[in-house]
Amino acid sequence: MPRALASSRRARPAQLAPPAARQAAASPLLPPGLLERLLAEAMGRGADFAEVYVERTSTTAVVLEEQRIRSAQVGLVQGVGVRVIAGAKVGYAYSDDWDEAALLRAARTAAMIAQGGGSERAYPVKRVPVPSHYRVGQPLEDVAVARKTALLTRADKASRAFDSRIQQVNASYVDQTRRIAVANTTGRFSEDTQDQSRMSVHVVALGKNGERRTGMYGSGGRVSFSYWDGVTPESVAEEAARQAIATLGAVDCVAGPQTVVLAPGWSGILLHEAVGHGLEADFIRKGTSLFAGKLGEKVASELVTVIDDGTVSSARGSINIDDEGVPGERKVLIENGVLKGYLYDQLNAKLMNQRSTGSGRRESFKSLPLPRMTNTFLAPGDHAPEDILKEVKRGLYCATFGGGQVDISNGNFVFEVSEAYQIEDGKLGRPVKNAILIGVGPEALKNISRVGCDPMPDPGMGICVKDGQMLPVGVGLPTVRIDNVTVGGTKVG
Amino acid sequence: MNYEQLAKKVVQRAVKKGAKQAEAYLEVGRQSSVRVREGQIEDLTEATSKGLGIRVIVKDRLGFAYTSDFTPAGLERVVDLAVQLAEAAAPNKLNGLPGARDLGKRGDTGILFDPKVANLPGDWKINAALEAERAGRAQDTRVVTFDSVSAGDFVAEVYLASSEGASGGYSGTYVYLVAVPVASQDGQLQTGYWLDYKRFLDDLESPESIGREATKRAVRMLGAKPVKTQQVPVVFDPLVAASFVGNLSQAANGNAVYQQSSVLAPHLGKRLAGKHVTLVDDGLLPRGLATAPFDGEGVPTRRTPILDEGVLSGFLYDAFTARKAKARTTGNASRGYSALPGIGTTNLYLEKGTKTPEELIREVPQGLYVTALLGHGADPVSGDMSCGANGLWIENGELTHPVQEVTVAGHLLQMLKDVDAVGSDLQFRGGSVGAPTVRFRQLTVSGA
Repeated sequence: MPRALASSRRARPAQLAPPAARQAAASPLLPPGLLERLLAEAMGRGADFAEVYVERTSTTAVVLEEQRIRSAQVGLVQGVGVRVIAGAKVGYAYSDDWDEAALLRAARTAAMIAQGGGSERAYPVKRVPVPSHYRVGQPLEDVAVARKTALLTRADKASRAFDSRIQQVNASYVDQTRRIAVANTTGRFSEDTQDQSRMSVHVVALGKNGERRTGMYGSGGRVSFSYWDGVTPESVAEEAARQAIATLGAVDCVAGPQTVVLAPGWSGILLHEAVGHGLEADFIRKGTSLFAGKLGEKVASELVTVIDDGTVSSARGSINIDDEGVPGERKVLIENGVLKGYLYDQLNAKLMNQRSTGSGRRESFKSLPLPRMTNTFLAPGDHAPEDILKEVKRGLYCATFGGGQVDISNGNFVFEVSEAYQIEDGKLGRPVKNAILIGVGPEALKNISRVGCDPMPDPGMGICVKDGQMLPVGVGLPTVRIDNVTVGGTKVG
Repeated sequence: MNYEQLAKKVVQRAVKKGAKQAEAYLEVGRQSSVRVREGQIEDLTEATSKGLGIRVIVKDRLGFAYTSDFTPAGLERVVDLAVQLAEAAAPNKLNGLPGARDLGKRGDTGILFDPKVANLPGDWKINAALEAERAGRAQDTRVVTFDSVSAGDFVAEVYLASSEGASGGYSGTYVYLVAVPVASQDGQLQTGYWLDYKRFLDDLESPESIGREATKRAVRMLGAKPVKTQQVPVVFDPLVAASFVGNLSQAANGNAVYQQSSVLAPHLGKRLAGKHVTLVDDGLLPRGLATAPFDGEGVPTRRTPILDEGVLSGFLYDAFTARKAKARTTGNASRGYSALPGIGTTNLYLEKGTKTPEELIREVPQGLYVTALLGHGADPVSGDMSCGANGLWIENGELTHPVQEVTVAGHLLQMLKDVDAVGSDLQFRGGSVGAPTVRFRQLTVSGA
């Protein structure tokens, strides 16, 4: 089941920008001539479509624990996947051996899905320009590892300095320079470099009587290393420490329906789970999502406008092109409560007579693309956040969040609240531990009764999991009030 | 290619480049999978893959690098990178590879490789998946579609060599079958899934039975609704109990224990549950999915009881954490080629009891039988657990109506105390963590 940590008017055309200098300068991952030979081989049994996906990803990861750098590592994974489509059938083969004979073998294996005879037709490809939603300066792989380890050492110091009750600090830094090239039998050939950088800090605070509370915070995006001059390791570490300290002395959460107010930002996980996954075209086409067949229907409160936008500058979920070579887009999924559109990859779009929304994403060359979210957020409303809180007599204020999960078919979703407070007469009361919210997507969205005027993106650490494939995504939400949400807890009140 | 030789060569190069200690870990695999839908193939994937990770110690400094590029230049580059990284790292006296004392003698794993799986014809998977879909559909007309039905196999080889004398390799096979039907009634959709995943073809549940069981599980959820908030006895089915057991093992991770970041840390040697609760990690379990002669750093795997008849008897360690905690490695270093070893489980399971699942349910006057959980489960640091749950309501010892949109919540230590019965139906269903049906005296169910 899909799980996160973490349009429309599909009319708006993707903005085309000149290719970034780096893309033009870099030599292609595979020579175009070889790409063309692989496409011809893949079409050898008379398929409808073939695609070659080339990926070369280098990763740096640093881990700190017990005030020391535990490890620093660097790795390279590279491979080529060949996809062949015949009718609704897909053949896929990949190889991490870049030898031409091995790649041709993969193309022939993928072609086995088609039953017909081949032709001698050639499949020329032409490089197309891609938009530019992230401009990375120096590739992250070229930044010295020592500068990355230094971030964590600073984070460790800052967490411990924040409060003497911080007992443990585990911090990690991961970045990737992911180069992809996609060429297909429509002649389209595009390349992109997708850098991402992410730091997270996990702390444990020790309270009275051995009580232990954790705090977790992170940040990142498709950014250059200089990002960390602005978002300092200290700021990330202090927020993690603040959460852990704030929740010391938390009381048991009262189980049962309550009015909840969600703090802005990370709470966008609610949207990601409650609606985002259910709008992905594979679930829609198969009729396994409760949102199937509901275009034009009211599925949420009219305060609700949901947007998935792959073009947000430098955001973690942004993509110049998706993993099928289609440019990222901004799509309005729900407008004033009315369902407007779904998220399409090429295969599902074709089978459903639609066009791709640039939502075909995959974890790596080892996976088939699936329709996926990019950055999913709720458009801001009119309510002042202070007023939203003031109006609630009794309820739960959800300040920070863990992860979530959804069951697409029945729409049941959960999301885990790592920092929550009782609301009494419009004011924050004691911290509450162990809270989780559960609901059914459309019902929860219909119960949204206030939307704040304070839009906020998450800090940039989201990971979305679907079919075991992990991808960076973004979410965002203004302050929101939802009535009558089932809150899980241990105390029967 | 002789990969065991290759691993040794990589180690030699690292030593020549200045590493005091070096270890190479290689994985080579091929896999094939098929998904079907509406009687047709949906997709077919075939692949081969490989990778190598190299860990080096230079003057108490650790370096690690990995690659999937096995060209001579690619391998030279990865070794040089690992050594460079070590030279730039901070020294830590605890760094080091397992020595002769830890490498010791390997236990008997039995066979890990099934030629029937390795030579499985492609159409076996297609036919098995189609058969599971057909049987699932025939079982109940309320099945409107399938999210997917898939079958697949893997052949995986692991090789390891180190400057401290570790050396070896093994290969294993895996085969699986999964069905995910979607049932519909009165506008409600419900999904269920059923699967089996084994090393040996003859151990795999039949396609018909997978399809039928998946359908039963989807259909019985139709009409699900919340129940009122209350504290009642709760029964976890084996799949759900396995995820609880997995959660518990996170708290038994020796590193979390050393860091005092585990709710179990202060309780070694204490009774935490009744005598009928025994939780074991066993890397030598016959035919087990995670059975292997050695762990991710060449240390022999073994059987490690975590809860022995209710008493917290041990934690899980790799060599690094063991050195830090002044304990012994338990052969629980877990890894892929692209990561340093960390502490993981092998075949982890709760030993079975004597009563059938029906008996466990029959003894509950009113309660919840949980068949699926949503969320991450318990927090291993605080022990707090709160999850979304689906299942069936128990009334006078009988399963009655389906329940959804509720949560179950408790605390790990209290939940362990509250395990009042363990079923006789131990199974390893989706992986290497297994459990029978488990009943808790009381949990908080939050609903309408």
